Amino acid sequence: MSSLTAERPPHPASLAVEATDGEGIAVSLRGITKTFGEVHALKDATLSVRRGELMTLLGPSGCGKSTLLNLIAGFLAADQGELEIDGRRVNDTPPYKREIGMVFQNYALFPHMSAADNVGYGLRMRRLAKQEVARRVADALALVRLSGIEDRRPHQLSGGQQQRVALARALVISPRVLLLDEPLSALDRSLRASMQVEIKEIQRQLGVTTLFVTHDQSEALSLSDRIAVMFDGQIRQIGSPADIYRRPSDRFVASFVGDVNVLRARLGSVDAKTATIRLGAQSVSVATGPLAGSKPDDPADLFVRPEQLRLSGAGEPAAVQGTVATHIYQGGHVDLYVLAPAALGGRLLVRSSEPDAITRWPVGADVGVWVSGADALAFPPQEQKP
Amino acid sequence: MSRSRQRVLRVAGTLVVIAILGFVVLPALVVTLAAFNDKAILAFPPQAWSWRWFAKALAYADFHSGFGNGLIVTGWASSIALLVGGAFAFALDRYAFALKRTIEAILLSSLIIPHFTIGLGFLILAAQIGMARGFPVVVVCHVVLVLPFVLKSVYVSLRNLDRRFELAAAGLGASPGRVLLTVTLPLLLPGLAGGWLLAAILSFNEFTASLFVTAQRTQTLPVAMYNYVREYADPSLAALSVIYIAATAALLIVANAYLGLGKLLNVEPHR
Amino acid sequence: MTPRPFLRVFVAPGVLMALALLAAMATVLQYSLRAYVPGSLEAGGFTFANFTALLKPLYARVFLDTVAISLLTAALTLLVAYPVAYALVHRQSRLTKAAILITAITPLFLGEVVRTYSWMAVLGNNGFVNSLLLALGLIDRPLQIMFTKAAVVTALVHVTLPVMVIMLAAALSHIDPNYAKAAQSLGAGPVRTFLTVTFPLSMPGVIAGVTTAFAWTFSAFATPQLIGGGQVNMVANLVYQLGLASFNFPFAASLSVAGLALTLAALALLRLATRPLEKLGPP
Repeated sequence: MSSLTAERPPHPASLAVEATDGEGIAVSLRGITKTFGEVHALKDATLSVRRGELMTLLGPSGCGKSTLLNLIAGFLAADQGELEIDGRRVNDTPPYKREIGMVFQNYALFPHMSAADNVGYGLRMRRLAKQEVARRVADALALVRLSGIEDRRPHQLSGGQQQRVALARALVISPRVLLLDEPLSALDRSLRASMQVEIKEIQRQLGVTTLFVTHDQSEALSLSDRIAVMFDGQIRQIGSPADIYRRPSDRFVASFVGDVNVLRARLGSVDAKTATIRLGAQSVSVATGPLAGSKPDDPADLFVRPEQLRLSGAGEPAAVQGTVATHIYQGGHVDLYVLAPAALGGRLLVRSSEPDAITRWPVGADVGVWVSGADALAFPPQEQKP
Repeated sequence: MSRSRQRVLRVAGTLVVIAILGFVVLPALVVTLAAFNDKAILAFPPQAWSWRWFAKALAYADFHSGFGNGLIVTGWASSIALLVGGAFAFALDRYAFALKRTIEAILLSSLIIPHFTIGLGFLILAAQIGMARGFPVVVVCHVVLVLPFVLKSVYVSLRNLDRRFELAAAGLGASPGRVLLTVTLPLLLPGLAGGWLLAAILSFNEFTASLFVTAQRTQTLPVAMYNYVREYADPSLAALSVIYIAATAALLIVANAYLGLGKLLNVEPHR
Repeated sequence: MTPRPFLRVFVAPGVLMALALLAAMATVLQYSLRAYVPGSLEAGGFTFANFTALLKPLYARVFLDTVAISLLTAALTLLVAYPVAYALVHRQSRLTKAAILITAITPLFLGEVVRTYSWMAVLGNNGFVNSLLLALGLIDRPLQIMFTKAAVVTALVHVTLPVMVIMLAAALSHIDPNYAKAAQSLGAGPVRTFLTVTFPLSMPGVIAGVTTAFAWTFSAFATPQLIGGGQVNMVANLVYQLGLASFNFPFAASLSVAGLALTLAALALLRLATRPLEKLGPP
């Protein structure tokens, strides 16, 4: 383990050595655009990844996250824009000179080499002495807790083991940036969860700047220091998991990350900082933000997380009225689907941790739903593009 | 800058490939030009231009009969090979049976066994069992020679076939025979057509074994051409070669457009 | 319903063909062990004479020449075919790929006679090469290129090229492009990526190609016959001279048997020699 945090092995063709900018930005993208024929894969993307942080590129398929990753790696060239790694412009630098480490979705372990030879490949390309290579390989395999399988071929390893070897191979060269392209998507759920923890621990321990691509928002929330949410070639929001979850900047981010309910409501009062949303018998306070420019009584969509909705009896004052349609028992909580005309899509998801929720609100019962907590958000309705 | 070094590598690579492809095309180009030479020798470049060798080649009786015989032999051989090879490939893909690998090895062995040995074998065999040197011997010999290609082509197509279509048909009530006729065969058609085409071209052009098993009256076009070269040195054969090249290239372009040669020859990536 | 509804119908014709081939081969074997009766197509009694005759330097020479020519051709064809196969697989444009493929494989479908004859137009005293050299003033009399080993090998490489390109391209196209990307991400430039990753992973195709090239070239007939013109003799030419020209079927048969045995032995040796290379390729 010591050799991996030691000084980076000399790269045969590296020019500038360490980054000179004092802000600690490891990867900087400014105005990056990439088009494939008719398709605009990336539109004017700008992003700064801090040294030592784990940033996730999150978005649905086709959003451009893999394109962005491949661009940083050097397998694609940007049409426009500036790309810097450790303060050095790398737009014209080929991948083999960027000092990156990459883990592919299918691991891409060289089938004709043993696990040890795979891990040592990058070190051999840097012409390290045989003994030094062996030492660093052993350290890397110990780091991913795979000592003992050095001589096995990839096809003799399980999916989880291959994944670790791929990780060790990328880490052993002490890369400036570690790039992970949906590395856990081929693993089953329990393995995924434990690997997420391990990756986070290793990343913390080594302090290596890491970019992680995934479409799984719960993975992003659990792993990242910061998340960059992407859609349709644009970066919609960059922030900590809490920021993204509790203060999404637009409708897409709000609905993509975590479950959310959308209720059609009306704007009450609005000033520079706060606005009041009127929904049934309830008035909810929200930050003005995206509603700037709207007038009182304009329609507004209220976004509420499932855990912030409460149920009450049919006669009691509530924001909306509805009927319980389904119960989904989840162990630690119960998801109740409530049919309500005021909701976008016609139904609401209410998440309750009350132990007697199922008996208290049986299927078919008429209920009132009201918003609790202070984290609701509102956006103008869909027609006006956010 | 390393981007320019990459560019140099690319340009050098492209030049090398063009040079090699030039080597491939060179004889065809040379013989095409030589076919127009007015003089009665095979010379390059032609000193005077003329169509006369084309006229002579097209009028030559032995070439006519050779062409006709070739069509007969090829027509029979490739069709029989398609039926036999296609059926066996099917059994190979789907069933387990005694001596499966042995029979397959024997059928594929004609790829390794020299054509002159196979030709000699059938020649002597025919003589021994008292068979005249007629078309049947030639056809059987050709079937044996082209069978491996048909087998491989159909087998690859079968492997790439999604079995679920057949299962769906069977689930809807079709008997195995109906499934075969209405689902499997139509889906295999490109592979079958490609296999037949390959067999036909190889059979029509086959020379060495044919030299042994054909007689004067059954000689195929390549044999007739060979006999001509041994006696005459004029460019008639060049003219015939040009016709040959043009026809073959056209056939392959059409085949690629309709069947996708890349997929047939298994040189396209499978994702 | 039987689990194998078409088994008999589909397998029987194949078995018949296999038997036909076996019968032909058995005939050759049988005749090789029987005495030659001059002037007759019948063979005499059992004898080893046909095989002992092979040990004469005249015939042994032909065998050695054939092996040498086959090895040389296989090696040269590999060298020349690899760049073409690589370009075929890695070029993006469909048009370029189609152009490369059709150009490379057309010679395969021209037939031996047309192909060999075309080479005569290139290599002959009045042919392309001599005309070019004369025109450039590099020589003042035509070079004798025809009827030499070099000419035969050149034409044989031309014959074998298409098959080698197809086999190499098939192997190359099945290599996951992520391997090259991974190598590059680890610091390997294009050349080292090729040498340490792409080429080793193409080994199965290389071995298949070289093996096929060797077997094919060993049995070549038209090319050495027309371009060798009697000066360069391979096994096939000898069999033809003795079998069809002199009607010495037994000796022609023994030549064939010996040739086949030699091919198989050489192929087995090739397999042994390339066994360590096979380990480089994917399992």
